[in-house]
Amino acid sequence: MKKYFLIPIIVTLLFTVSCDDQLERFPVDNLVEETAFQSVSDLENGLRGAINSINRGGGQASLLAFNSIFTDNCKVGADNGGQQIALINQVLNEAGGDQGTWADRYNAINNFNRLLAAASTIIPQTGEEDAYDNILAQSYAFRAYLHFDLLTYYAPDLMDPSSLGVYYQNVVATSGLPARQTVGENLIEIENDLTLAASLIPSSATDINYVTPDFITFLRARIALYTGDFNTAISNANTIIANYTLADQAQYAAMFAGDGDSTEVIFKFDNVQGNNASIAFNWIFTGTGGAFMEMSNGLFSEFTAGDIRRSVNLDPESDPGAATPLLIIGKYPPNADTNYINDYKAMRLSEMYLIRAEAHARKAAPDYAAAAADVSAVRSARFGSPQTIAAYNSLNQAITDIKAERRVELCYEGFRYIDIKRYRNILNEGIERASADCETVPCSLPVSSEKFTFPIPQAEINANPNMVQNPGY
Amino acid sequence: MRTKFSGILTLFLALFVQILFAQQQTVSGTVTDETGMPLPGATVSIKGTTTGKTTDFDGNYSIQVNNGQTLVFSYVGYTPQEIKVSSTTINVQLKQGEALEAVTVVAYGGAVNSAKVASSIATVDGETIEQVPINSLDQVLQGAAAGVNVNTGSGQPGQSATIIIRGRGSLQGDIEPLFVIDGVPVDQDNFRSLNQNDIETLSVLKDAAATAIYGNRGAGGVVIVTTKKGKKGSGVNLQYRTLYGVAVKPKTRFEVMNASQLLTWQRDLLPGTQFGDGLSDARIAAIAAQTNTNWSDVFFQQGTTVSHELSISTGNENTSSYTSMQYYKQEGITLGSDLTRFSFRNNFNGSSADKKFNYGTTLTLNRSVSNFIVDAVRGNNTGGQLDNPFIVPYIGLPYLNRFNPDGSLNTFGTIRSQAIDTNGDIDNPNGFLNTPFLALNTARFNTDQETEFKAVGGINADYNFAKNLTVGGSIGIDYTNIELLQITTPGSIRGLITPNQGAEVKGSQGETFFRDANFILNAFLRYQNDITDKLNLSASVYGEYNYSNTQQAGYTAFGLNPALPGSSAGFTSGNTQEGEDTNEDGILDAETELALNYVPGVFSTETELALASLFATLDLDYDGKYGFSGTIRRDQTSRFPKNSTGVFWSVAGRWNIDNEDFMSNVDFINALKLRASYGVVGNQGVGTRYQGLQTVFADPTSYQLGTGYGLNGLIDEDIKWETTNQLNIGLSFGLWNNRLSGEFDYYNFLTEDLFSNNAPLSLAQTGYGTVTTNIGSMRNSGVDLQIAFDVLRKSQTNPWAITVRGNANYNKNRIEELPVDFTGVTLRNAEGRQAATWFDVRWAGVDPSNGQPLYYDVDGNITNVYTPNNRVYLDKNFDPTYTGGFGADISYKGFALNALFSFAADRWRRNGSLAIIEDASLAGFANQSVTMLNAWTTPGQITDIPRLTFQGRAEIGDRYIEDASFLRLRNVTLSYTVDSKILEKTNVFSGMRIYVQGTNLVTWTKWRGFDPEGNQSGGFFDYPIPRTFSLGFDLNF
Repeated sequence: MKKYFLIPIIVTLLFTVSCDDQLERFPVDNLVEETAFQSVSDLENGLRGAINSINRGGGQASLLAFNSIFTDNCKVGADNGGQQIALINQVLNEAGGDQGTWADRYNAINNFNRLLAAASTIIPQTGEEDAYDNILAQSYAFRAYLHFDLLTYYAPDLMDPSSLGVYYQNVVATSGLPARQTVGENLIEIENDLTLAASLIPSSATDINYVTPDFITFLRARIALYTGDFNTAISNANTIIANYTLADQAQYAAMFAGDGDSTEVIFKFDNVQGNNASIAFNWIFTGTGGAFMEMSNGLFSEFTAGDIRRSVNLDPESDPGAATPLLIIGKYPPNADTNYINDYKAMRLSEMYLIRAEAHARKAAPDYAAAAADVSAVRSARFGSPQTIAAYNSLNQAITDIKAERRVELCYEGFRYIDIKRYRNILNEGIERASADCETVPCSLPVSSEKFTFPIPQAEINANPNMVQNPGY
Repeated sequence: MRTKFSGILTLFLALFVQILFAQQQTVSGTVTDETGMPLPGATVSIKGTTTGKTTDFDGNYSIQVNNGQTLVFSYVGYTPQEIKVSSTTINVQLKQGEALEAVTVVAYGGAVNSAKVASSIATVDGETIEQVPINSLDQVLQGAAAGVNVNTGSGQPGQSATIIIRGRGSLQGDIEPLFVIDGVPVDQDNFRSLNQNDIETLSVLKDAAATAIYGNRGAGGVVIVTTKKGKKGSGVNLQYRTLYGVAVKPKTRFEVMNASQLLTWQRDLLPGTQFGDGLSDARIAAIAAQTNTNWSDVFFQQGTTVSHELSISTGNENTSSYTSMQYYKQEGITLGSDLTRFSFRNNFNGSSADKKFNYGTTLTLNRSVSNFIVDAVRGNNTGGQLDNPFIVPYIGLPYLNRFNPDGSLNTFGTIRSQAIDTNGDIDNPNGFLNTPFLALNTARFNTDQETEFKAVGGINADYNFAKNLTVGGSIGIDYTNIELLQITTPGSIRGLITPNQGAEVKGSQGETFFRDANFILNAFLRYQNDITDKLNLSASVYGEYNYSNTQQAGYTAFGLNPALPGSSAGFTSGNTQEGEDTNEDGILDAETELALNYVPGVFSTETELALASLFATLDLDYDGKYGFSGTIRRDQTSRFPKNSTGVFWSVAGRWNIDNEDFMSNVDFINALKLRASYGVVGNQGVGTRYQGLQTVFADPTSYQLGTGYGLNGLIDEDIKWETTNQLNIGLSFGLWNNRLSGEFDYYNFLTEDLFSNNAPLSLAQTGYGTVTTNIGSMRNSGVDLQIAFDVLRKSQTNPWAITVRGNANYNKNRIEELPVDFTGVTLRNAEGRQAATWFDVRWAGVDPSNGQPLYYDVDGNITNVYTPNNRVYLDKNFDPTYTGGFGADISYKGFALNALFSFAADRWRRNGSLAIIEDASLAGFANQSVTMLNAWTTPGQITDIPRLTFQGRAEIGDRYIEDASFLRLRNVTLSYTVDSKILEKTNVFSGMRIYVQGTNLVTWTKWRGFDPEGNQSGGFFDYPIPRTFSLGFDLNF
């Protein structure tokens, strides 16, 4: 009998022995994280992946859309089939109302943290040191940039260092329930990262599609303005303004027509066919060019004759004279590929002039003349001829003018909601839509509304009992 | 021949013949049935040995036997007889077996006597699904067995269904059963190429005692498909079958406006600017008189089904075979949706002369070609695609003329639909207004076709190499090769924007090659012994290895030369640049980014999955009264590297009360069996095949088109299989000579280590909101009832036979533990509630004073403010609480009427299609329901349609969460079988049957759409399941 028993036993043994090998299956189409990063060149791949993660999906486009649609820069478009209706109705709730910004930003930050962690295990070869340092500098700078984005939208009051900030994520962790830090604590971390980045970044880093030394200065100026450190804002703005010139009318037009000019661009996300989706898709049905959302009549009336910004922002297909004016947003045109793929110019020189103007107006000893001169410099460039310099007599007057200028200069670039938020307590003015723009949607959002700060997403609140929700939600 | 087996080794009719001495002699004789007709192929074996013979065509046998040994005479469908040898001639008359002694196909065991089964298994006879023109073997299970809930998402011919056995057992993991065809596990979502007429039986294994042997793949239940085999000694049988059917659209349970209604309504009531505004009554009448298109008429066609099948079964003493060939073509109820198939099957079985060595092969080779429309479940579709033909009957504008001036069908669009402008130039044919023409255009000019080659085959053998010991093994493969061809023709409307509007050369062609191979290798050793007269033991050990490999590769090329369709010679080079040339010097302007519109997309991927297992079974039977079964399986999977090993097991017992001595006087009870089982089964079907490995993707077109690396989503390396603890208690009974028979089962399944992709993480800390891992637990408990009653039985005096049958399931699902409290937004999985429970703001109608929509707040007070904060649990679930089927088989002489109804009740879906045609904000370009004519206009008006200025489709709450329960006449067949005595005279035919059949003829439901069924929680312009009428012939030679 025994010999017969042997047969199946041997067969089964063979099975189990050979199967241990058979059970080790690794993916063909993916890398395994433990072994993915082996060289500086792998890290460069990681950097591209991380930058791409800032801009994928809704990414930047969702904030451009939010700033335009939630405020007074849009009206419901002729071809709207329900798209973005909640946003123009100013629905802003814990369930997705933040357009995924919290998730997108923290996920992108995580990618940079993972890149830094991978870099820490790699020693660059001779000749690779600059490239290696640059990767670290890019990671720190983007980490700071992304955290400041979070702070801008989720902190109720950037001017108060002891108020609620966000959590500064600077480690790779797969668990943990962090609490919110204060604005002041966040700003220290941001500055630490920017200092590190500035110290590491090689002089060869001049590509405006990546972090450059000017990116760091620009970001410092913007942060200083938003947080009330006006003198720092002015000094950083001076540095940038000294290095660049404002685009003339032709350059300005080319800048927004297929990214044909970058005279005044300090940093942009380089969106290309084959990788990126249109950043205009929230307004424009990019398959056919129909408009889900159009420029508001209110904004349109702000553009006066001779202003190059009128023809840049208004698509030539528009029909402003119709009974119901057709105002197609033209800032990100279809271009040769007709996919509406355009770079997102995240840092432009004109913003720096307006930052300096505002800082001059708001600093401890206001310099209204300097403020008015900076506003006028922008206007002169856009009109192609010297424009009169206003004479401000009060903070209110100066901010009113600066706010109006920022609206026409920076519309559809992701500033309007934040501007209204920042100025609302100076001007006592919330969102006010023109009556023609609000037949079926709310006409205003009061100054006191909690909706000037994003709610922390419900998913985070549910997952993390230490996370404090913003007031009013 | 009846396909139901019956009567194996259950009744022992011992003859008390005194034998004084043993001596080898030749015994011969004839085996006949009750009428004296010889039974060819009956088995004559010597009890306690493996020696046996079969009878020849005249029922004769001869066998060498010792005096005093016992001969066992058996034949499928007949009660075996045992006769102790006392003379050299033994003629035997076998009696037809009794119904309850049917066999049940169990896992790894083949057919066993049902009386000895302690687990919960529902058997579906192949006959009930043969020639039903629903071409997916999972779909045809609807209503056929208790506890088997079948829903289909599309009326596409060959569409696979979603099957849930005894409730949703997982939130994120696989919820469908494992399908095993002749021992080979196959893809559970693709049966379109298989010929369901080849099926002998379907066994639905429903509890752990039946499924634990499938270890970490058994938790969702297992469906064992056994295909037809030839019968040994049956001679040659030839059968030709044909079917012709017509599919028509189901009943429409909504009504849209006609041209006159819509235009008048647009003009008088609808705010904003539309076509109807400012038209005079006379003008509207003129337009409506000229054009009043009912788009349903255009988009629904009569789809024909044609089937021809030839099958040959042969059998001699030691071998048998079954071979079938089928040609099948089925058209859907809309243009461009069809299935054409050729399938071939050969099953061969053989055994050595001493019957100790048995072997068999099964092989099916199939090729099918499917054409698809842009329906709601195809690819990443949502139903909202404007070229979905089933969106058009809802939103197609009735004042658009379907005909060209020359009377032909317009497939491009009109000025009024804004496809062309007043100069005749192309305007916006891809826009909303042009939806009907766009859908027609895509169906007619573009291609979405899959050509599938599918082979399922296996070889098995066993050898009874020593007394009581059998060794065996099998190898099987399920191989699927799908070639997908998708062409967007340059001249089509979609072609105008492919690759994009600016490209000079239009159109695209993509091909994908998909190869999926599943291998299984199995070896076993079985020990079988009658330890005493009464105690039988059977024990087996198995080793098994499963390996799956899936590869996919393909390309998409752009810019087609219309003169070279289908060939790469017509593709535009990927290097071609396009842009502006303002100075017209022939050189494109370099300052703007030039477009590369024709860069082809290419891809190639591969994944693998391996599973190595050892398992064992033990079966004990004492005197046919008590039984015990146990199984244990150790699985190792490649899916979870850190937790690769799992052990699954079950125990089961039965008590055949009817065999007890004290029951011998209870005449009306023929069978009574109490069953109980408990076991642990697993589910490894979650996420990707590398769910336990943290992977990094490499994207060759990342930032600035360089290669970018990034995390492929966060995974939990400690993830492991779900386990389901399954308790089943059942009672099988047969009363009054088995006139009333049935099974009643209570079950209680607890899934632990529940998969969820919603294990919450702090985004701020980890960068990820959730991770897929094991959290929580969920319970499904309920009852299955299966019952059949022979109202009348055919007899010498009574030509009528009437059987009524029914099955039903009540299932209660409850999420016992979910640390995240809930997942989902308006369709939620929440702790303490049923999975897939609706959670929304309750709609409270329309305020008669001002026409505003009203809602209930969380406390039940009426409010006119819509806020998601007022969402509440609605006590309505997507999954049905009650499912089942019932029917009757009535026969009179040669006539037979068979009917099957199926039902699902307490089932709620969101009717998104209706929400679209009751949304005034879309009424400028989408036709509306006639109910919109009742929109609120004057104070005091009682209506359920708000004032038309209300334009918030996002603010409808539960208004369109509808009762999707249904009762459906699934299939009804009237057939006539020609008397065999008449056929005998032809000397050609041995059997002839003719039948007419209706499928899905009537559906009773409250759902306001085409079809309540659907396997998605929201209905959004689904492809409805058609009603089919068919006519068929079966001819036996």
